[in-house]
Amino acid sequence: MNTIKRFIAVLGVLTCINACSTDDNPKYANGYYLLLDTSGTYTKELDKAKQVINYILAMMEPGDVFAVARIDSASFSEKDIISKLTLDARPSVAITQKQNFASNIEAFIAEVKSSDYTDISGGLLQGVEYLREARVGSRTILIYSDLKEDLPKGYVRDVKPELEGFTVKALNVTKLRADNQNPRSYLDRVADWQSLVITGGGNWILINDLDKPDALL
Amino acid sequence: MTFLENAGWMTFFVLFVCAMIVLYLARKPAHRAIRGLLDGLYIATRFVARSLANTATKMHARNREVLLHLGREQSERELRKEFHEISSFVQRDLGGYPKLQQNIREEINLIQADYEASQHTATELPDWTQAVESVAKLKTSNSEANTRLLEQIHSTAEIQHRENLKAYRETNSKRNTVLQKVLPHWRKLSFSIDDTGRRLSDIVERSKKIDKQMERFNDIQTGSERAEHMLRSSAITQFLISALVITIAIGGAFFNFHLIALPMSEMVGSAQRIGGAKVSDLAALVIICMEISAGIFLLESLRITKLFPLIGSMDDRTRRTIMIASASVLLTLASTESALAFMRDQIANDLAALRASLAGPSSFAEAEVHTGINHWIPLAANMVLGFVLPLALTMIAIPLEYLLQSGRTVLGSVVASLIGLLAIAVRVFASLLRQMGHVLTSFYDLLIAGPLFIESLVLKSRSSHSDDVQEELPWDDVEPTEPMSTGAKK
Repeated sequence: MNTIKRFIAVLGVLTCINACSTDDNPKYANGYYLLLDTSGTYTKELDKAKQVINYILAMMEPGDVFAVARIDSASFSEKDIISKLTLDARPSVAITQKQNFASNIEAFIAEVKSSDYTDISGGLLQGVEYLREARVGSRTILIYSDLKEDLPKGYVRDVKPELEGFTVKALNVTKLRADNQNPRSYLDRVADWQSLVITGGGNWILINDLDKPDALL
Repeated sequence: MTFLENAGWMTFFVLFVCAMIVLYLARKPAHRAIRGLLDGLYIATRFVARSLANTATKMHARNREVLLHLGREQSERELRKEFHEISSFVQRDLGGYPKLQQNIREEINLIQADYEASQHTATELPDWTQAVESVAKLKTSNSEANTRLLEQIHSTAEIQHRENLKAYRETNSKRNTVLQKVLPHWRKLSFSIDDTGRRLSDIVERSKKIDKQMERFNDIQTGSERAEHMLRSSAITQFLISALVITIAIGGAFFNFHLIALPMSEMVGSAQRIGGAKVSDLAALVIICMEISAGIFLLESLRITKLFPLIGSMDDRTRRTIMIASASVLLTLASTESALAFMRDQIANDLAALRASLAGPSSFAEAEVHTGINHWIPLAANMVLGFVLPLALTMIAIPLEYLLQSGRTVLGSVVASLIGLLAIAVRVFASLLRQMGHVLTSFYDLLIAGPLFIESLVLKSRSSHSDDVQEELPWDDVEPTEPMSTGAKK
């Protein structure tokens, strides 16, 4: 009788411990969604993006979510996600996942073709949707682009994304030839995106110096 | 400010005079109110100060009791140990004293027998000497016959002498042999006596030590100042030393934790969390806590520490069972940690390789070159540390016991001293409040100095008309010290 009581007590304690913990503990996990601009001449900048991706991979903890998507003519689509992963709790499995992910990205960058148009808004909306579904604690969208949007005819992107709890980081926002002639256009472009993010309730950070990777995460 | 600017100086003067008159008229009630308020505060603060002082005194007394109790227990333990040692010493060494005495007696008997056997017995004079004398006294003309006779006697004497000398030498040789046999007996006897003397001097030394401890015990028993002072300084020293050792042990535990936290994530996963902490970290902590617990139980069952008196008072069989169980758990956990340390090294190498590959092909090749040479040294060090650290952590029970024992009296003394200081501070504050009453009433009178001066002039003029009226200055009629002093006496 005493043994049964003890067993029940131990079972109760274990149940309590199990109740305290959850399978994924999303509030402690970090979610990263990286948008890579593949339009026009910006594809030349993608080699540097590889370093960014590798840095993020190296710093990721078990349970973290990471997805890399391309910005092309119509980016509001799951098909544009190049590679994605949710890091396993076991370090040995996580190492393999990271290696596979890095290989996928390398293969993509080697074979990437320039797109005719640049749908950054669509990619941003897709990123918001993806990270919301991932149920992670902190959500970061990294936009590796010159922030020059160029939509094909018939595409409407007047939806204001809700970015409450999101941090949007614009990486390597290069200056175009027109920007050199008139810096106002560059400043206005950056200010427009900043306004869009802040209006949506998110945080905006601009990082052009990629030699300081600490700022990325 | 605007009001003053608009009103002008005249209005201000009128208001000032009015206020002064009002203050003059309300002087006595105002004085009473100030004195009443500050007297109340003074009494309250004095009450608090007294309460704090009483608490500090009680705490000091209680600490003293605890200190003496602990000292008494420790002294009793030491005395018991000394008595136990001296008892076992007497049983072991002096228990064989009758046998030793018997041995000595036997040795003495043997020596005596040998001595008697070696005694020299004087040989008697030969009988023929009388014959020689008789021959020598013969009066005969035949001297040749005498000479021949004497020569015959001489030759016989020579032969007998040689025989006697030979016999004497043989006897001497035998005696020497017997005396040589005595020598080891002497040595044995001498050693036995020296050994007995040494043991007895040991007993004397131990008895002196016991005398000193008894004196200390009596001091503690009577609760003398000397004993209290000695115990307090001893407790502080013990507290500081044990705190230092515990700090070092915590450092060891922290290092141990880092050694097994990463491989634990491979076993239980590191994504799950309980209350913000990773399950793998908690599992590593649990393992370390289990090791420390097993170590505590092991030392308890060995009767080295007395954190759980119940274990120490168990019968030997149960105690031995606990001891074996604790040691087994400890060894199992130490072996597990060693294996985890091995796993940690593997994971760390994989992570380093991954980072190198992510950093670029050149870095990867560089990392390959670097890890090839000294790979086994950190691996072996990790594994050895993984096995040794849990065993070393078991010793934490000893300083922990000292810390708990001495911490009670040391922290109690510190708290009592702080409360005593607080009581003094509150008492000083009470005195300040009391002086504040005097200052405030004097300041009040300073505000209405004009009317008071007029009042004094009026009183003086009245006193000049009547000798019965005693001269009295207006500020002298205020006697603020009276209630204050009453309050102080309270």
